[in-house]
Amino acid sequence: MEKRIGEHPILGKPQKGKLVTFTFDGAAAQGYEGEPISAALAAAGVSVHRYTAKAHKPRGIFCAIGRCTDCVMVVDGEVNVRACVTPLRAGMDVKTQRGVSAV
Amino acid sequence: MKRYDLIVVGAGPAGLSAAIEGAKRGLKTVIFDENEKPGGQLFKQIHKFFGSKEHRAKIRGFKIGEELLAEAAGLGVEVVLNAAVIGLYQEKEVVVRIGEAVRHYKGDAVIVATGATENAVYFEGWDLPGVIGAGAAQTMMNLHGVRPGEKVLMLGAGNVGLVVSFQLLQAGCEVVAVADAASAVGGYGVHAAKVARTGVSFYLSHTIIKAEGGDRVNAVTIAEVDERFQFIPGTEKRFEVDTVCLAVGLSPMCQLLKMAGCRVLEIPAKGGQVPLVGTRGETSADGIFAAGDVSGIEEASSAMIEGRIAGIAAAEYLGYAVNAELEAAIAENEAALSELRQGMFAPGRRGDMVEFTDEGIHVSVSLLKKGYVNDEEIARFTSASETPGFRPIIECTQNIPCNPCRDVCPRNCIKVESITALPRLNEYNACSGCGLCVASCPGQAIFLVNGDVGGGFANVTLPYEFLPLPKEGDRGVALGRDGQVVCEAWVSKAQISSAFDKTNLLTIKVPAEMAGKARFFKSKGAV
Ligand SMILES: Cc1cc2nc3c(=O)[nH]c(=O)nc-3n(C[C@H](O)[C@H](O)[C@H](O)COP(=O)(O)OP(=O)(O)OC[C@H]3O[C@@H](n4cnc5c(N)ncnc54)[C@H](O)[C@@H]3O)c2cc1C
Ligand code: FES
Repeated sequence: MEKRIGEHPILGKPQKGKLVTFTFDGAAAQGYEGEPISAALAAAGVSVHRYTAKAHKPRGIFCAIGRCTDCVMVVDGEVNVRACVTPLRAGMDVKTQRGVSAV
Repeated sequence: MKRYDLIVVGAGPAGLSAAIEGAKRGLKTVIFDENEKPGGQLFKQIHKFFGSKEHRAKIRGFKIGEELLAEAAGLGVEVVLNAAVIGLYQEKEVVVRIGEAVRHYKGDAVIVATGATENAVYFEGWDLPGVIGAGAAQTMMNLHGVRPGEKVLMLGAGNVGLVVSFQLLQAGCEVVAVADAASAVGGYGVHAAKVARTGVSFYLSHTIIKAEGGDRVNAVTIAEVDERFQFIPGTEKRFEVDTVCLAVGLSPMCQLLKMAGCRVLEIPAKGGQVPLVGTRGETSADGIFAAGDVSGIEEASSAMIEGRIAGIAAAEYLGYAVNAELEAAIAENEAALSELRQGMFAPGRRGDMVEFTDEGIHVSVSLLKKGYVNDEEIARFTSASETPGFRPIIECTQNIPCNPCRDVCPRNCIKVESITALPRLNEYNACSGCGLCVASCPGQAIFLVNGDVGGGFANVTLPYEFLPLPKEGDRGVALGRDGQVVCEAWVSKAQISSAFDKTNLLTIKVPAEMAGKARFFKSKGAV
């Protein structure tokens, strides 16, 4: 199923920035500029944002508003970046976070 | 350190309303909100709100947010976004993190309107990707246009769980079930009914045993619980889902108030720890006020009123308003608040099992247990007649504060005596079939029936907020209140009108004896 809502019965067509390319774990991916990184990843079917440091358990979006830190990733080399509240920009380098304690 | 007359924390309905009242009286006002977008909860709410005209009923939540923002901007309120308030001290010093920078501000008065945070619940697999909060689901689909999943199980049958389930359906997701450990639906029955009639099953007295999956949830198991919330072996039900959505309550976020030394109390009926506040929102700390969900979980409508009171009180505290004006405003707003706090869902009655409506009608038990009023029970409230001519069938069976149906009818066909009274039809039925009541009912509980359109058929007009909108001539099936197929149906009309504000009206033709049962339509292709 297409993850993006093409047209919503109440909200109409989602208002989005321009389509840009970024890298996710080394591969090219696409999303809309200004949307949270997590939205672009969810649209691409990515659920896992990180693996916990000790038990290596997968984590993804939980609150989507920047509170729980479940969604942190490595963005442009910086660890523990909350993907749900960090706007996507062209050329960003986004990586699944492994083996780093989340904040 | 930058100084303001009034600093408001949180740009939800309470904070915006407070800032508006302060600014109107000449206070130099700033609002800080940690979000990228202002509006708090309102911006995720795409349904029409309950209440009466004064409470902006039948307007969708996000529109109310836009109206408040425009008003605040017009009055010169400064709204600073991406600004998390991380400290509040007794001297009304406010510490704000804006991006990387930490800034200090001084307010002569401070209003805290930080709202609430979602509660979590723990079960095996609760931490798997795909297990998300209801608020997260709303944020993803309504703000970012991305479906949170394909097949969803909703845990929680309070208003949040019910509203978000409906929103998931609107976004094109499948909701496999709504489960809740409570023995009865906690939210408004009408919110449950509009979900149930699309075919979603309700499991009350059920909770989640475990979620399974590798890198994402792929199944969830629920089971029945007894009165002491212990699992009953052998009652397990397993669903293949990719998403589990949690809507298990909200807790007021009063950390900042605690930090400022305000007295807080543990009041379970208000959602947990709340500040001790007086009638004007004043806390125990001088010049610090609280309004909205932070001082007790309620509604946006009451949050706006509390915000207004706190805004005026702050102005009075600073000498920008006279006490008489404050007293008058308090009296007026308290009257509006008490109107809202009537009926079966009044804050003081939360958790009570209500057996009879205020009118003395036995409530629908099926509504509380299964999410829909069954065919036998509905006869206590309304009935469709098999005669020609239009007649609104109002399936509103609980005393909730809401009356737009009365106000929109151009022929005054509908009476709602007190705001929480059940709507009644006037004896003399002058219905012209305009459909305004069907479109404006926030609970989507009104249907228009023309009991005889010839050939043994009746027309049923229902509210329809899904895409694609079926077209005239489409064939399909009618579903009953319980979401089960009741008969074949044909679309005789699909109406879109700006007066209906996106609640389209679908008129289906069904055998006349089904007019009292057919409440939803599925096209042939979609069955
Ligand atoms: C699914 C759902 C459906 C609902 N339906 C209805 C309905 O039909 N009718 C109705 O009347 N109500 C409804 N409500 C309830 C309503 O949305 C809330 O009661 C209302 O939004 C509370 O307003 P508020 O201003 O107190 O808080 P909020 O709207 O939660 O706003 C608080 C704001 O404060 C900000 N904030 C918090 N902490 C900080 C900080 N430290 N620094 C900076 N900013 C901060 C938050 O980001 C947020 O923007 C619904 C709620 C939900 C979840
Ligand atoms: S999902 Fe909770 S912080 Fe991002």
